[in-house]
Amino acid sequence: MHEVYTYSNASPSRITPEGTLADLRVAVQPNLAVRGWPCEAGSRALSGYTALQDATVVARLVKAGAVLSGSSRMAELGFGLAGDTSARTLVDGHADVALITDTMGEVRLAAAGSGLFGLKPTHGLVSRHGLAGLVPSMESIGLAAADPRMIAEILAVMAGADPDDPSMPDDCTAGFSAAPPSGTESLTAGVIEESLSSLDPEERLAFDAGTACLETAGVTIQTVNLADYGLFKDVHHLIAAVEASSSAGKFDGVRYGHRSAVGKNWNDMYLNTRAESFGPLLKPFLFQGAYFQFERYLAFENACRLRCRLVRAVDDLLGKVDILVLPTRRPASDPAQAATIQATYAVFALTLPASVTGHPALQVPNPGVAADRDTGLQLIGRRLDDGRLLAIGQHLSSAAREGR
Amino acid sequence: MTYEAVIGLEIHVQLNAATKLFCDCPNRPGDAPNRNVCPVCLWLPGSLPRLSQEALEKAVLACLALNCTIQNESAFDQKVYYYPDLPKGYQLSQHHKPLARNGWVDIVGADGGLKRLRIHHIHLEEDVAKLVHETEGRTPISLVDFNRAGTPLIEIVSEPDMRTPHDAMEYVKALRAQLRYTGSAECSLEQGTLRVDANISLRPAGTEGLNTKVEVKNMNSIHNVGDAIAYEIVRQTECLEKGEPIVLHTRLWDPERRVTAPMRAKFEGPCVPDPSVAPIVVTDAWLEGIRGRLPEMPARKSARFMETYGLTPDEAAAMSAERDLSEFFESVVAQDLPPRKTAGWIVSQLIPALRDRNQGIGQTHLTTERFAGLLDTLEKEIINTQSAREILVQLLDSPAALEEIIQNGGFRQLSATGDLETLVDGVLADHAADVADYRNGNPKVLGFLMGQAMKASQGKANPKVLKALLAERLG
Repeated sequence: MHEVYTYSNASPSRITPEGTLADLRVAVQPNLAVRGWPCEAGSRALSGYTALQDATVVARLVKAGAVLSGSSRMAELGFGLAGDTSARTLVDGHADVALITDTMGEVRLAAAGSGLFGLKPTHGLVSRHGLAGLVPSMESIGLAAADPRMIAEILAVMAGADPDDPSMPDDCTAGFSAAPPSGTESLTAGVIEESLSSLDPEERLAFDAGTACLETAGVTIQTVNLADYGLFKDVHHLIAAVEASSSAGKFDGVRYGHRSAVGKNWNDMYLNTRAESFGPLLKPFLFQGAYFQFERYLAFENACRLRCRLVRAVDDLLGKVDILVLPTRRPASDPAQAATIQATYAVFALTLPASVTGHPALQVPNPGVAADRDTGLQLIGRRLDDGRLLAIGQHLSSAAREGR
Repeated sequence: MTYEAVIGLEIHVQLNAATKLFCDCPNRPGDAPNRNVCPVCLWLPGSLPRLSQEALEKAVLACLALNCTIQNESAFDQKVYYYPDLPKGYQLSQHHKPLARNGWVDIVGADGGLKRLRIHHIHLEEDVAKLVHETEGRTPISLVDFNRAGTPLIEIVSEPDMRTPHDAMEYVKALRAQLRYTGSAECSLEQGTLRVDANISLRPAGTEGLNTKVEVKNMNSIHNVGDAIAYEIVRQTECLEKGEPIVLHTRLWDPERRVTAPMRAKFEGPCVPDPSVAPIVVTDAWLEGIRGRLPEMPARKSARFMETYGLTPDEAAAMSAERDLSEFFESVVAQDLPPRKTAGWIVSQLIPALRDRNQGIGQTHLTTERFAGLLDTLEKEIINTQSAREILVQLLDSPAALEEIIQNGGFRQLSATGDLETLVDGVLADHAADVADYRNGNPKVLGFLMGQAMKASQGKANPKVLKALLAERLG
């Protein structure tokens, strides 16, 4: 088996050779439905499951002339990046753009780990139809690439109303344009002071060098405060666990996927199937979600209320500044480092805010430091300001190239 | 001690929308197993629910018919439990924000007085799949038929306002009549398109608290609803008198043995807001549009029938109870027939005949034109009442024209005085002793002679003409 791909497209033929994305090679994760391809989402719960129809985004990309190169390895049901090879498809030259589901910051950190751009679009901007997801209110199909213009082109094709996903909010379905507004001058960026406390001195220096590049590009930097910053992690953890527990309820071995051979009646079959289906990281996460659903529902309700408060707080900040800037931190190269839920959340601490609030967030390779350094920039924009983030990223990257 | 029963009903009604609640599969659970399924109702990975506009509209119509207030915003929750009949591991239902609240229906209480029974709320939800457990053979297997999975239901939750089996039965009847009027649902207990769960608790008469309740399911007729509740009241009374505590659980009504038997401890799964189905936001304009589709409901129609057609309250109630029958009545009357006589014929002849056949009007050959023709012929004394009853049966059963039926059956009544004179003279000659009896002052004999004369005409004599002739001959 291929070490990067779980499924490699043996006959990559394109449907629309003159489409806007003609010949662009796109790698997907195996949680995104491509008709006839295995769709196992890195989980035994889906072993042997083949997609019956294309996900909406897949159909749109293919129609626009893109070529699907294959599907990568991924962490079980996209929870974290353990074992994920999405970014490798780009680094090794197998694909131009990778679609990576972002629930905690996966597309941003996968990109950060390889010096690439990674966009988590505004939640609800891209149809989730055909995404075998885990946390519906937080996951977005993200895009990683070396060139942000490519991301913008693909996003323009992927975004917009889909009758198969009625959960998309009205503002996301009404004529989205990924066309970047021109210029970065007279923009104001806010650095959330509370987000910097976890950086060590070296990381802090790297981050400051990155924001200095933004200033050079004409962006005014100011420090802003988000007193509730410390809540993002717990709010994400609690809500994501509850939603994951619900979402994974469908994996019962009745209709598809793994079914335990052991059991003297259907109830046994059901219990054994689920016990055998989930891996050591996901299983306790589902237990936690079930615990809050069944035993601590009020805590879940409180988390939902706090989430609303966090969304308002971020919206308020984005009323005062045009974008927010946070650091990203390259994930530990050893996936086993994230073998516990706690460790996984620690890795993603800096990317959780935009997952909780649904704002668009772009990982930008830090132009202020050498390419192999660990600290990148994360730009968070207003809802539907995805195009602006990509334009700023593009501007930074070309300025850095010229400066060299 | 005397106890008072506190009864609340939870009623599931299957909406007759063309599709399931969240996908385009046909809403036909009875088709060949797993014929009506798709990635959404099988909940294959990557599927997302798409709320059916038609089901929503039918649900809103039903709520309006039950005098509920439609909520400006309602939303779906995931009712979580794990069972193979539930493809998602949760049922999409409205727990926190139901579609409608605060409704009511009026019933006639056991004392003859009007009683208003309140509805707490009505919510939309999807039905589950059907499990078939095959226990015969060496390896027992369980099969799942997903045709029913995702079909649209409303659940109507009453306030605990009912006190007797009578209240509960009348509540179900009133609710069923209202819902059928809207055309949103068939509401058949026998076929399972209306399912009643009863919550029953007891308290010392004169007190106000609510005690531990027991839920009873599986009543497939209105009578069974009444019987199951009556049984459960007796059972709980005996428990209390023996000093046994009432425990919250679910019982099944056994229609064969006519008892309730324990099924399981009552389980309520948690309800988590669903992140994928957009909230239902109702605008005034949209709601007015739906309200405009609400037909004239039975109470109003009944009042109008009294006013417009001079029906008595009983006649008006009978003519407005079922929508199809009320419309049948009105279009017959529109063909220049006397309303009270028409109503009388529908109640005394048509309804019993349909009941005998176990049919609705639509399933017979009877049309308003044919029925109006029959009554018209009767009015014009072309046929008599006895013949009209026989003709009605034929109008229901065969497509033959009314004229043809009258002709072939020889139903035309004898009104010609000449023919009847001969007939009467013959009868009087045959019964000379009775004639003498009458003339000696026994008036009862007249009825006997009338009967004999009618018999001699094979039931076809015009009774008015016959009676006049007899009176004249007997002097």
